[in-house]
Amino acid sequence: MSRREPHQFPAPETGANVFWKSLEEKQDPASFAKAKETEFPFSLKDANVIKHADAVEGEGAFDRRDFIKLGAVMTAALGLEGCIRRPVEKIVPYTRSPENVIPGVSNHYATVYARRGEAVGLLVESHEGRPTKIEGNLDHPSSKGATDLLTQASIMDLYDPDRSTSPKKGGVNTSFEELDAFLADKIKSHDADKGAKLRVLSAPTNSPSFLRLRELARTRFPEAKFHTYTPVDENNAREGARLAYGQAVHAIYDYARARVILSLDSDFLQTEPGSIRAMRSFADGRRLRSPSDTMSRLYVVESTYSTTGANADHRLRIKSSDVERYTRLLAKALVAEGVNLGPVAASLGDHPADGIPPQWLKAVAKELAGNRGRAVVVPGSRQPASVHALAHALNAALGGIGQVVTYTPVVDDKVDATGDLKTLLADIDGKKVDTLLILGGNPVYDTPGEAKFAARLATVPTSVHLASHVDETSAKCTWHIPRAHELESWGDQRSLDGTWSIQQPLIAPIYGGRTDLELLARLAYGDDKGQDKPRAGFDLVRDTLREKSQAGALGFDKQWRNALQRGLLTGSAPFAFTPTEVKGTDIAAELAKPAPGAKGAAGTVEVVFAACPKKLDGRYANNPWLNELPDPMTKIVWDNTAHVSPKTAADLGLVSGDVIELAHGADKITIAAWIQPGHADGSVTVYLGWGRTAAGRYGNGKGFDVNPLRTFAAMHFVDGVAVRKTGDTYKITQTQDHQSMEGRPVAIDTTLEKYKETPNFAQFRSPTPKTLPLWPRVDYSRGFRWGMNIDLNACTGCNACVIACQAENNIPTVGKEQVGRGREMHWLRIDRYFLGNDAAEPQVAVQPVACVQCEEAPCENVCPVNATAHSPEGLNDMAYNRCIGTRYCANNCPYKVRRFNYLEFQGEPLYGDIPESQKMQHNPNVTVRMRGVMEKCTYCVQRIQETKIASKRTGKPVKDGDVVTACQQTCPANAISFGDLNDPAARVTDLAKRDRSYELLSELGTHPRTTYLGKIRNPNKEMG
Amino acid sequence: MAAVSSSPLVTVDPVTAKLPIAEIGEIPLIDEAETFASITDRVARVTENKAPRNWWIAFIIAVSATLMLFSAVGWLFWNGVGVWGNNSPVYWGWDITNFVWWIGIGHAGTLISAVLFLFRQKWRTSINRFAEAMTIFAVICALLFPGIHVGRAWLAYYMFPVPNQMAIWPNFKSPLVWDVFAVSTYFTVSLLFWYVGLIPDLATLRDRAKTKARKMAYGAFALGWRGSNRQWQNYERAYLILAALSTPLVLSVHSVVSFDFATSVVPGWHTTIFPPYFVAGAVFSGFAMVMTLMLVTRAVYGVKSIVTMQHLELMNKIMLVTGSLVGYAYGMEFFIAWYSGNEYEMFTFINRATGPYAWAYWTMISCNVICPQLFWFKKLLTNIPVMFVLSLLINIGMWFERFVIIVTSLHRDFLPSSWSYFTPTIWDIGVFAGTFGLFCT
Repeated sequence: MSRREPHQFPAPETGANVFWKSLEEKQDPASFAKAKETEFPFSLKDANVIKHADAVEGEGAFDRRDFIKLGAVMTAALGLEGCIRRPVEKIVPYTRSPENVIPGVSNHYATVYARRGEAVGLLVESHEGRPTKIEGNLDHPSSKGATDLLTQASIMDLYDPDRSTSPKKGGVNTSFEELDAFLADKIKSHDADKGAKLRVLSAPTNSPSFLRLRELARTRFPEAKFHTYTPVDENNAREGARLAYGQAVHAIYDYARARVILSLDSDFLQTEPGSIRAMRSFADGRRLRSPSDTMSRLYVVESTYSTTGANADHRLRIKSSDVERYTRLLAKALVAEGVNLGPVAASLGDHPADGIPPQWLKAVAKELAGNRGRAVVVPGSRQPASVHALAHALNAALGGIGQVVTYTPVVDDKVDATGDLKTLLADIDGKKVDTLLILGGNPVYDTPGEAKFAARLATVPTSVHLASHVDETSAKCTWHIPRAHELESWGDQRSLDGTWSIQQPLIAPIYGGRTDLELLARLAYGDDKGQDKPRAGFDLVRDTLREKSQAGALGFDKQWRNALQRGLLTGSAPFAFTPTEVKGTDIAAELAKPAPGAKGAAGTVEVVFAACPKKLDGRYANNPWLNELPDPMTKIVWDNTAHVSPKTAADLGLVSGDVIELAHGADKITIAAWIQPGHADGSVTVYLGWGRTAAGRYGNGKGFDVNPLRTFAAMHFVDGVAVRKTGDTYKITQTQDHQSMEGRPVAIDTTLEKYKETPNFAQFRSPTPKTLPLWPRVDYSRGFRWGMNIDLNACTGCNACVIACQAENNIPTVGKEQVGRGREMHWLRIDRYFLGNDAAEPQVAVQPVACVQCEEAPCENVCPVNATAHSPEGLNDMAYNRCIGTRYCANNCPYKVRRFNYLEFQGEPLYGDIPESQKMQHNPNVTVRMRGVMEKCTYCVQRIQETKIASKRTGKPVKDGDVVTACQQTCPANAISFGDLNDPAARVTDLAKRDRSYELLSELGTHPRTTYLGKIRNPNKEMG
Repeated sequence: MAAVSSSPLVTVDPVTAKLPIAEIGEIPLIDEAETFASITDRVARVTENKAPRNWWIAFIIAVSATLMLFSAVGWLFWNGVGVWGNNSPVYWGWDITNFVWWIGIGHAGTLISAVLFLFRQKWRTSINRFAEAMTIFAVICALLFPGIHVGRAWLAYYMFPVPNQMAIWPNFKSPLVWDVFAVSTYFTVSLLFWYVGLIPDLATLRDRAKTKARKMAYGAFALGWRGSNRQWQNYERAYLILAALSTPLVLSVHSVVSFDFATSVVPGWHTTIFPPYFVAGAVFSGFAMVMTLMLVTRAVYGVKSIVTMQHLELMNKIMLVTGSLVGYAYGMEFFIAWYSGNEYEMFTFINRATGPYAWAYWTMISCNVICPQLFWFKKLLTNIPVMFVLSLLINIGMWFERFVIIVTSLHRDFLPSSWSYFTPTIWDIGVFAGTFGLFCT
């Protein structure tokens, strides 16, 4: 964090052209819009191989004359090749250098992101005023320096070339002046009836300023209604908490303290709120230092195979709709074990235990009951309120409250969001809505099919949508306002534990967008009260802080500055809700009610609507990094699919890639099927957030929209869905299509018991050869000897590091078609293997693999031009401008971590470049590689050099922890450590010497610098 | 049936039914009716007369194919190697397959002209010019691939030890650099050998030339050849030296090419058997290619009396020998993979025979090992259609051998997560087909 004065960026003049708006769009919007439709206008799709290949194969498309012409041109071109000069590019220095901006040296600013009810504390790296990389804020309790993959990728959203650039009235561009005038008039017009016909729709929020302004607006327009809706919500959890405690609360689980964890359909390591915090503490509970250490045991009951399921010691695959039955049966078994559930015990009802192995009740109950105070039951937000309420009761009965479960009050606990949307819809039908203000969100796309939001929206006389893109909803609204990105906005957030953070912008809104707060302030403060200028976000946030928080002895300005610098308000955290007692009778009453949602008839399946690990609810749809990120479990890129178990697929006669129609009543969707080993039988999981039609060039038409099948009654899963094969097939692309380790010692794992018997089990499987080297080995015992260690026991396979690496190292995306050809560029990949012989219930092993920096690197010997060579510190360096692209190094790399630029993935002037805005994301300290060049992980050599230069300047030696690689920095599980292996005190040195440490493919004698710590599973013998 | 020796370098004992000429103890290779004049006339006519219609047709096809090559290469340069099917982990696909194949083809030319010359195998004279020319063009085709397959072809000169201001030299540990030296030496020597051998013939053409332009052109290339005794003496000496230089190249070039694979860590490549196996394979494929072309030329130009059935029979026998050697190598690879106890090695070979590329493997086995065995039968050994078809099959089989070695080894190596499948694109095919145009033009 660098010290600086808070600064309000001047807003760009209204109507002024923003310099990076592309010329094509300016000159010919129609054809530009058409170009946007294509997947990759900048790469091969336009003037490209594929098109040409089609032309050659197509009848008469490529006639004799064309052939002769092409031949002649190419023959001449070959001769002239040497004569072409590269274009001259000019760089211009600052005439007046801004304060604190040193070209080539990055600044870091603290800010915060809202993410599914959690506020993720961030430090954002900025180069010459351009944010380039998002990192976690070490001081912030929600992230402790880590981030998740969505946060990592969101820097790309800032530079999204398809962001909306100006307000639109009826789909036609207009100016911000006109917009302001319109808003002033419109809002004033509602003063008369106290806002009776005014409605505001927004997402649930933790922002104190937002809540304050909403209260102010409520005071001004007491008749107006403020609705919240978000497609991936916490309503069931809140409802469950209300049943148990009479108040909506968040539960924060301490997985590090817990010995036994039971997840009830909760993907707490990936898609649930607070996953970063959860991952850190989960990994801490399993970070074994020696065989005598203890570790937690995770039981997961779920339908879809989630990241959390992949980390389970025991996993039960049942339909999501059966999880409640399981929970009740388990509660009964716990009562049998002597756990006192009070009045709840009597209302558990009688349920058949079919599909649930007896040990999953008896042994699990025994374990939970035997670990009182250290056992925790975690319900998933998909599960109904009754499961949440019962879980609260179980946690209380097991003595977990205050020990392994703590509660915090929900900030935005006014209304049940789904029901609230229903009231809005009813009001629209009743013609009670004149003006609808939609702050963010995309309800036309992401509301359930039965909401028919688009049709209803059309009947509202004035609808205003604040959105980053002219998306599905904006297209149907009478007004569209460009929304500023989170890195462009002033704001504030409270994290789950109540930590108050200021969201400070890193850059002025690139396209002059507005923020939610600014728009809400228009409602809160009337323009007629002498405040004719719209309020700026900066003032709004400061006012909130001044009003709601105690400045203390420091005084407000100091407090404000401190909050900006640290990224959080000191002393704002204690925010706990201390429950008195679980309201057993209320829970019992709820459990006694008949469960809503009928069981499906024979031949039908259950459909689970899961938040996509990559796109959540679709808001990240136009992010090329996320599109190309392999799904953590299926390794599918650029698509979502309907996951079915092998047995269900066999029953339905499906193979992967078959397009199926899922029909529930009148609601129908079509989607490609994917056979996912380990999925529950009779259940189909579909990811939300795909099949967007107005997301932008990268997101349009990718995957399948599943929202039409959702209903308000069944937001998360629905039983009784009919499956029909349409007969079509769909091409699905994966980055890894071989799922078995073939018995090779790759991602080595064992059980805790066997680890105690053979602590060096991993080295034993992969011994280093004792043969003499061909030439004397280099002595690295002096100076730095960089090394990395990856703890497979901590790694959950969440994929955040993959995106972090991509953002840090200017790694291009290549598109589905190129990934299909095996040309993805990720320097760091996460290999996912299925273990076990039963395809229906495989275990999963994950292993992040990047260049392991062999000391005896096979790639270096074979490079004919010395483009890859060893540094004195033992790094296997790439000299990109020396590389001619023989690809021999990659052939000889046993780890296959080298990536080749088969085509100009970073854009080519002749074909149309990658959008200028996307180039702004590039890290200036990393070369952008051209086509024909090999590239790979360098251990973030630019960061090593930065630290060494700083050390040289200050005279302070480089300490352990000074160099942090991008993947290490972002890892929520703290599974990656990096440092100098010559430093005996370094964490990495310690880890590399642990008994479960091993070198990947050590038997080849490559002497890799990256070591892995073998994974330990902790199965319960009684589970059989 | 002739006795077959175990080395490909020592060829066939020319024992036939015909009685040898008493003075020299050899039987005539060609019909006794042929005289020096008739042969000169027959051969020279090919260049002097108007080209036959068939020649034009063939030439137009070849030029079109060459044009296709230029288009495909131009497209490749324009876009990058991505127009081919190469991927990760199969970073080398058809490009290096073609390179090794064409280099192998070239070997027969050198073998025929140089080795057989050194061993005084007189029957070579009818085919040596032919084979040498084939070598030159095959090596040109081969050289094309390392040049164009690199990602940045305009910087391919980095592979040569060009003095530069950065004082960066090629990496002499890299087999690719050895390749550069081996192949460029081979090309230079082959070119010289061919040219030196041509000098008297060029002079003959010059002497027979009817137009001034022809006279001048052939005159310049004939380097003032007068056919004097001293010139013949020097010529014979030079030819002998070049032949002696070329001979080790037959062994060294393909050995070095095999080092590209043998010195790597890839299972299926990392094998000590590769050098002899590659040389045998090269001779095998080279003879097959000479055979194919010769049979066509024989038919087109009507030089049956020069290239006799005996020549063809002897060549077939060489193919039988080298084919058996290659078959032995295939078997030995499997044995060593099993004997080594290395699980990666074992997997690679089982995967070759039973994995996704089994079709390529069995194509290779049937074309290279089973087909040549037909030559054990005298009837088939001397049957022109049979040998034509077999020579084509062997060419295909040898191409597949390289494909199998390169692609099946790469597509499934150490970490199963990286495993993939290689599919060529139209541009792979275009470049390969185009090289035939270049070769035939």
